[in-house]
Amino acid sequence: MHLTAYQIIAPLVSFVAIVYAWNLVFKQKKTVWEAILWTAFWSAIAYIAIEPDSITYLTMVTGIKNRENAVLVTFLGILFFIVFYLVIRLEELEQRQTRLIRKIALQKKGLSVEEEDDKR
Amino acid sequence: MSEKRRIVAVIPAYNEETRVAHVITSAMEYVDTVIVVADGSKDGTPAVAEKAGALVIQHVDNCGAGAATMTGIEAARAMGADIVITLDADGQHDPHDIPAMLQPVLDGKADIVFANRFGVRNRIPFIRRVFNGIGNILTFAVTGKWVSDSQCGFKVFGPRAVREIDIRMSRYEFCTEIVRESVQRHWRMKEIPTKVIYSEYTMAKGQSFASGVKTALKILLRSFLR
Repeated sequence: MHLTAYQIIAPLVSFVAIVYAWNLVFKQKKTVWEAILWTAFWSAIAYIAIEPDSITYLTMVTGIKNRENAVLVTFLGILFFIVFYLVIRLEELEQRQTRLIRKIALQKKGLSVEEEDDKR
Repeated sequence: MSEKRRIVAVIPAYNEETRVAHVITSAMEYVDTVIVVADGSKDGTPAVAEKAGALVIQHVDNCGAGAATMTGIEAARAMGADIVITLDADGQHDPHDIPAMLQPVLDGKADIVFANRFGVRNRIPFIRRVFNGIGNILTFAVTGKWVSDSQCGFKVFGPRAVREIDIRMSRYEFCTEIVRESVQRHWRMKEIPTKVIYSEYTMAKGQSFASGVKTALKILLRSFLR
């Protein structure tokens, strides 16, 4: 069986992602359930990389049969990721603003805010 | 009750001047202190709440129910609260259910108690049942824990939960986050059937379909990226 570079890299990346997720579970930052979902997702990525024929049905449904289509879909994926990243950044900014408002509200009443808030 | 525990009620409120006073006075029968977090209210909510006897904390801008609840819990923590009760300001929860909600915590059988509006005969509009059902399914999908009424704001946090709780989601997603916290921190959970009073007012104040979809997307996104 001849393996391409992608077929080696993708399962390795998946393996690292799965190990990372379970590491977070042991650090109590992720629940077991979330790690299971994460494992299922990355296992699917690895499986598709090793067995590309497994998504024949998907190519039939989506019509992605040639390289041009694949490139288009890849760029759509990249754009989706950029939008996704921006949404996350906006969320972080919103959270910072919220923390500030909450902190001011508590300070005005003379109620201390935990130190943890400053670390976040 | 063998030892005296400090019980604090936290009521997040946004433009609730017509309703909040009644909720405060009813809750006061069962708790030591009532904290109202006026979440950027533009009406007379802070003044009305203060007059009714609550400690009022004001957010200068509207941050959402999750943020207001966490502000209230932090204030309660700073005041040395052992047990915190959260309930909505619009009067949909009956404060007379507080003793029943408190019992599992006082008996040392639970760290967190969830109200279950579907556990007794309540007149709940069909659309609310559907939305709550979707919320429950989504909560189960991201936490792996089934809670019969995961989106209800009426909860009791026992001493351990009061110490450990850390809500980061600002808006309605916080209900799902609390279930996640319960799972993550291995809190003992209980559900108690409670009354609910739906009116045109409470229906109008609830989440719209669009904000419900947004909430669902945020929950999924967060659970995956965490």
